Amino acid sequence: MTTVTDNSSLPHYTARSMAIHSLSAFAGEALALGLATGPVCLASCGPVVLPWMLVQPRGLRTHSTQLSLFLAARLAGYLLFAAAVWTAGSAIPHAWVGRSWLLGGTQLLLAGALFVYAAGFPHPRCARSASAAPLVHIGDSPHPRRSGAATLGFLTGINLCPPFLVAGVRAALLATLPSALIYFAFFFIGTSVWFAPFLSLSVVRRTPSLVTVARMVAVLLACWYGVSGALILMEKVVYG
Amino acid sequence: MASRSSAVLHPRVFRSVGRSLLLTLPMALWSLLMFTPSLRQSRRDVTIGSAIVIAFMTTLFYLMVRTGNTYRWRRCFFVALGFLFPIGFISALIAVRGTMSIPIERMVSGDTPFCFMVTPMLVIPAAFTRTIIFPGSILPTSSNPHSIAVMIGLWLAMTLVLGKAWCSYGCFFGGIEEGFAAVRKRAKIRRTVDKFAPRLRLIPWALLIVVVALSAALMEPIYCMWLCPFKTVTEYPAVHSVETAIQMGIFIVLFAGLVVVLPYLTKKRTQCAFFCPFGAFQSIFNKINPFEIRIDREKCVDCTLCQTTCPTMALSKESIREGKTLMNCMKCGACVDSCNKDAAVWHLKGTRVGLHPERARLLFLYGAWAMATMFGGSILANSLATMIRFLPKIHSMLLK
Repeated sequence: MTTVTDNSSLPHYTARSMAIHSLSAFAGEALALGLATGPVCLASCGPVVLPWMLVQPRGLRTHSTQLSLFLAARLAGYLLFAAAVWTAGSAIPHAWVGRSWLLGGTQLLLAGALFVYAAGFPHPRCARSASAAPLVHIGDSPHPRRSGAATLGFLTGINLCPPFLVAGVRAALLATLPSALIYFAFFFIGTSVWFAPFLSLSVVRRTPSLVTVARMVAVLLACWYGVSGALILMEKVVYG
Repeated sequence: MASRSSAVLHPRVFRSVGRSLLLTLPMALWSLLMFTPSLRQSRRDVTIGSAIVIAFMTTLFYLMVRTGNTYRWRRCFFVALGFLFPIGFISALIAVRGTMSIPIERMVSGDTPFCFMVTPMLVIPAAFTRTIIFPGSILPTSSNPHSIAVMIGLWLAMTLVLGKAWCSYGCFFGGIEEGFAAVRKRAKIRRTVDKFAPRLRLIPWALLIVVVALSAALMEPIYCMWLCPFKTVTEYPAVHSVETAIQMGIFIVLFAGLVVVLPYLTKKRTQCAFFCPFGAFQSIFNKINPFEIRIDREKCVDCTLCQTTCPTMALSKESIREGKTLMNCMKCGACVDSCNKDAAVWHLKGTRVGLHPERARLLFLYGAWAMATMFGGSILANSLATMIRFLPKIHSMLLK
């Protein structure tokens, strides 16, 4: 559909505004994906964060510092993963004729992964991610160090739970490395929203409505990616 | 005790005729003020249409004041609005374009009338890129008076004062399903809806998140492009590819299912309650306006008649126990009118529950009915004028 702007702004539609436009596009999609898959991140990372936060001295400031460190390190893990998957993705040349097949197929896979996530929360595979049981015990130390939060954050950041893989395959198909990094940064923001309630010791986990809404969002996004992928494949079949 | 499955009305003490007329006078004057320019027009169809609407709206308000019932009389207006709006709108489209579909050149020239459903999808793209992702004009033009700024301004003012009452007094789409919901005397499907209502009520929120995020990502109003059931009876992008054909199919299926079949079977406004993302967006404003419906716990006997009667499932057992409606209450008044114990009451925030509920109702009704007359009334007048204009032509065609 055509996007119509105020006519006076049309002459200023320069490279800069186009860049902002595409940034908004990445941001919206990545943010939606992050928000939708946030609860599964909680299921994956929650067992690590909760005991860690519980053993911290009481006080909002301490908890904020620890959570910030955890999230910052998690972001580092995300960006590292984004760089890795994009490097792998860019190996496929743009002119390759099968790119539409790959794109359509990827979107269908993405839809499938989101359906699996929505149907089976918490997904059993998350239990086998890098943030699983053994790391929970790090938080048991009576005198935890700040590096502990950072270590936990980084390790949970690179775990391979389904939503993370979904974002990974999407980032791999982006045109440039900065795009992939921006995509993961916004995906991170979306998922991080779900971590905020840890400051008051996991309010979200006690609100089933929020989790239900997130699962519904995942199903709707799955439908979207499913239709989008199917349309790409159909156009490829019809027009070649 | 009244039947539980139909929209029952609890008989109340009538107000005196004189007092009712006196209370109706401000609204009669408001109606006259709104339609004076139309009455002065030289076109007979417009004058007749406007006169009918003035009489219709004033009479309904009088009946609301006299009988103490809100829901029944509001529904008369709302269903009329829902069914007459497409008549006026489609005939105008066909007169101007010759078709209900939107040609691409019309979109580019910004001639598409603005629909308030797009409002939540505009926010993020407008904030980040200063772009309005709707093919309409920002300011009114001679060819398109229903511009984006005018419609958003009107909607915002009404919503701040009345909250989600827009959905029961202003939305021209809701009237269609309320009409189909009113056909059956008893609901055919009730238990299933009651069972799944707590989850189904969350769908509009999920849909709101998805359409807002995807609209920002793709820079197009996703809901209008793919999901709006009311495209079936308004306007839609011209079908010229597989994609647009799929979109059209989705519109028809959603309209048939959510606006016709399910309301008919359940006696609920299923599209409004379980689908509309704009409704979820409106619910946020329900928290910041002065009017609400409360349950007086001292009078309530937990019969759940209000819950059964509510057309949008905006009451649950838990909320009744807390003496409140849910966030998605549209202030239609069905629960208040059905309560035999007068426990469901209109309430002005900041006052004690049950303190002068009739005053709170009247205060709300003046605002809501003023909006209904101004916004819906002009739509009704326009549609009636169209019908009057075409009636002789249809008559002569039939005679031939």
